[in-house]
Amino acid sequence: MAESPGAEKREESPILWVARPMATAARQFARSLWRPSTIVYPYERLEDPKFREKLEVKSGKPFGVGDIWDNYRGVHALNIETCISCNLCAFSCPDICIEMVTVAGGDPKHPKKCPEIDYGKCSFCGFCSDACPEGCLTMTTRYEITTPKRQEMVFSPERMYEIFRSKLPMNPIRLARPENEDQILLDPPLCIGCNACARDCPTQCITMLDIPKPEAKPGEKLPRRIWKEPVVNDSDCVRCGTCISVCPKECLFWGTRK
Amino acid sequence: MSSATLYSVSYDLVHAILAAIGSVLPYPGNVWITNPDLITGLAVLVFGAILLVATMLNTILLIWWERKLLGRFMDRRAAMHVGFAGLLQNFADGFKLFHKSTVKPREADTLGYLSGPTAYMVASLLIFGILPISSGWNSGALPLTLLLALAVFSFAPLFIFVSAWSSNNKYSLMGGMRSAAQMIAYEVPLLLAVVAVVIVAGSFDLTTIVYEQQNYWFWGPLFLALIVFVAAMLAEMERIPFDLPEAEAELVEGWNTEYGGMLFAFFMFTDYLRALIGSILVVLLFLGGWTMPSWVPAAATSFPLAGIVWLMVKTYIVFALFVWVRASLPRVRTDQLLRVGWNRMIPLALLSIFLAAVLVTVRCLPAFGCIPSLGT
Amino acid sequence: MSEMWINMGPQHPMTHGLWNLRVKIDGEVIVDVDPELGYLHRGIEKISEDRHYNEVVTLMDRTCYVAGLAWEHLYIIASEKALHIEPPERAEYLRVMCEEFQRLGSHIMWFSAFVVDIGLLTPLLYGMRDRDLVLDLFQSYTGARMTYEYMRVGGVRNDLPPGFTDRARTVLDWLMARFDEYDKLTLGSDIFHKRCDNLGILKANDCIAHGVTGPMLRSAGVKRDLRKDRPYAAYDRVEFDVAGADSADVTGRYLVRMEEMRQSVRILRQVLDWLDRNPGPVMARELPRWLGAPYAPVGREGYLLKRNYPKGVGFSSIEEPHGEAQAYIVNEGGEHPYRVKLKSPVFSNISAARQYLVGYRVADIPPIMGSVDVCIGESDR
Repeated sequence: MAESPGAEKREESPILWVARPMATAARQFARSLWRPSTIVYPYERLEDPKFREKLEVKSGKPFGVGDIWDNYRGVHALNIETCISCNLCAFSCPDICIEMVTVAGGDPKHPKKCPEIDYGKCSFCGFCSDACPEGCLTMTTRYEITTPKRQEMVFSPERMYEIFRSKLPMNPIRLARPENEDQILLDPPLCIGCNACARDCPTQCITMLDIPKPEAKPGEKLPRRIWKEPVVNDSDCVRCGTCISVCPKECLFWGTRK
Repeated sequence: MSSATLYSVSYDLVHAILAAIGSVLPYPGNVWITNPDLITGLAVLVFGAILLVATMLNTILLIWWERKLLGRFMDRRAAMHVGFAGLLQNFADGFKLFHKSTVKPREADTLGYLSGPTAYMVASLLIFGILPISSGWNSGALPLTLLLALAVFSFAPLFIFVSAWSSNNKYSLMGGMRSAAQMIAYEVPLLLAVVAVVIVAGSFDLTTIVYEQQNYWFWGPLFLALIVFVAAMLAEMERIPFDLPEAEAELVEGWNTEYGGMLFAFFMFTDYLRALIGSILVVLLFLGGWTMPSWVPAAATSFPLAGIVWLMVKTYIVFALFVWVRASLPRVRTDQLLRVGWNRMIPLALLSIFLAAVLVTVRCLPAFGCIPSLGT
Repeated sequence: MSEMWINMGPQHPMTHGLWNLRVKIDGEVIVDVDPELGYLHRGIEKISEDRHYNEVVTLMDRTCYVAGLAWEHLYIIASEKALHIEPPERAEYLRVMCEEFQRLGSHIMWFSAFVVDIGLLTPLLYGMRDRDLVLDLFQSYTGARMTYEYMRVGGVRNDLPPGFTDRARTVLDWLMARFDEYDKLTLGSDIFHKRCDNLGILKANDCIAHGVTGPMLRSAGVKRDLRKDRPYAAYDRVEFDVAGADSADVTGRYLVRMEEMRQSVRILRQVLDWLDRNPGPVMARELPRWLGAPYAPVGREGYLLKRNYPKGVGFSSIEEPHGEAQAYIVNEGGEHPYRVKLKSPVFSNISAARQYLVGYRVADIPPIMGSVDVCIGESDR
């Protein structure tokens, strides 16, 4: 019936009514007598390298071949020490399951905020760890997070820091940054020099530079502002956009520096 | 053959216990309690209890056997955590089902809904009082054991229809209708295949039939009858490829769709009980029952209860064949099933009767050496 | 028994999803059917209007739970057209690899479900076992087994891990041997032919009239395969044959799918060889500035819409495992798509149910609907 080449050859014709399927099932029965293909999960784990070797050698089947587990996107690990509170993980989360909560270690004026993840909502898409500019939020191979209590599904930064220190295999796949990345640009006429961007910049790559106060022409009123302008150090900038969001005059925007 | 029978064992047991009690009782009591009628009555009860427990244990063991075999056919491990190799898993499942509440659909007919599964199970359990398990291990020497067993066996599906109809569910009703049609269609070839055995053995008594097979088992000369019998038995047991009444793909669960908890457990248990009966019948009719061929060393057949052990071994092997069929074949359709039943199975069964008659005739020709009928 | 309506669904073993097939039967014969869809509607199209171009990919994984990467591919092609982006060649090959592996996974899943419909429980486990190998491969380079989130506008998330191609070839060899085993268990048995031959016939002109596509159309003798007829991604650079059959019945659909799996293995071997030979970037260099993958923060539309970004409209149509899927994306500027419209092949295939079910028996419903390969996630969206 199939017109493709070789289809006639492969087509199985019934022999003796049911003899062929019964022989096939019997062959499978004999094959799985010693060791079926299933994995007795809580006792045998695919992420256990020793078990993988054993399986590969004994069964001759391509099960669990290679280090497939290291790329798995599981529970996050957070390195609180290197976190710069840039909010990018929370911004990039499609499920809005990341909340930035205050952790110890910040100065009272600028409290340090780290992500707290609600695994009841998380879809493990990995966008947050892709977005993390410092590489402090990564995903591990841990996948067992079932719990009888809903509150325990929320992982605090400290809890994820413990996972980080437990040296689970981290997801080595990291997205390379594109070359023509956005930069923070300024609409100079709109700026009032208020320092909000420089104050809230997590990497402190914005410096307020003095600009000359122009001479007021006759009949023209000078804007009421501080005569300073933000200058962004592009090599330090992590593109979190905090400055854009805090700017009261909406004078910062994404763009390419000419 | 050991001289002790199940009944004599239970009689002796009851007698010993009652005598012990009677020895400490004062005058009117000790005479009364060793009354032979009382001992006989109690012995029958003990006999029944032992049989019932043994049957249930065997059925549950059969479910375990099917699960394990099917698991290997499907390239997986089956139940393996409760007990050694999962032996106690079915007990756990049974206890779970037993402590669930019985939910009856509001529109269902109460009497039929509740009594159907119970009667189905009890009717199937009856057969075990009749089936000879080993020499002397049956309830009594009825001359028509085989007919009675098959009659009770085909009586049970009536209760399937009762419970299906009273469930007031379209799927249940369709499953019940299919079940009835299938039972009726396959009852005929089943009995015709048995007729071939009866012709050769010359008796309706299962014990006689087994002893007739001491020289040669019937599966060789009556191979055609065996095929017809096994196929018809598959249909009677409602197993794949003939499990249309409970075809889960289209009928959800067939006639027991509306059942849950203990009543469902009754159904499930009885299905396997009938599978056990079917396998034992195949062994008794075609595979020499509890007897073994003469080339088997005497040590293997002379230990206590050897007959029962060998019968069970054969039964489980026969059931493994059913599991193998289940693992490798798809389900047929109702009209195809009925067409196969009426158009193929019955002619084949008639042919097997003819062959049996020829065999009986030929057997007594001097040229072939007259094989004597042993009889009892 | 007079005629009666029975509801097969929304919870019924036949449905393979969440839908309702109302069947009017006369005894065991089907007189009329009425498929009801919409139980699994999640508003994915509407949610997409509130998500980034890249974040919509997470939703596309959830349209069809057995063919997530195929739907990602569909969406990504359309949105790249809408955003005027050209992906690098290696990314295109990677996407072809994803789609073909997904076709393997989806068809094996279909096989597992289909054999259960005709009462064979054993190959279900075989199918699940072998599909697991494909999922292992997905996990090794996307990081997930079911919801992959692998493709991005302008390329794919990451390149393959070292040693992947050898591992994939091992799996392909194993699968090719298993396909013969599947055939023995099904085509080798007389009961299968009794059940499936001349069943659920949908002739070519009926298929075309109802918009039925995919293996159902090809089994009716129409060799339409978008991978051949309107090549996208790297399909014009690989060799394969379009599977086809003439019988237009359940057996024909079975044969077409089995042959498609073998052709997928053939494509995959070529693609894996190409990937071995040609390293390179997997992400386009010239992305729109704010689309530097997931960096652009959510909730900043106000700042982005002020700047003028190119507008556009993207349409894509791919040969998804179930049939021809289509996506239409309107880009009105800004970081969210203005409108995402998805067309699922399963929707059309189910809609023609009256054509291929009436006149058969109740027991034929599971094999026929099984041969349609229903995936409600994508038809309800």
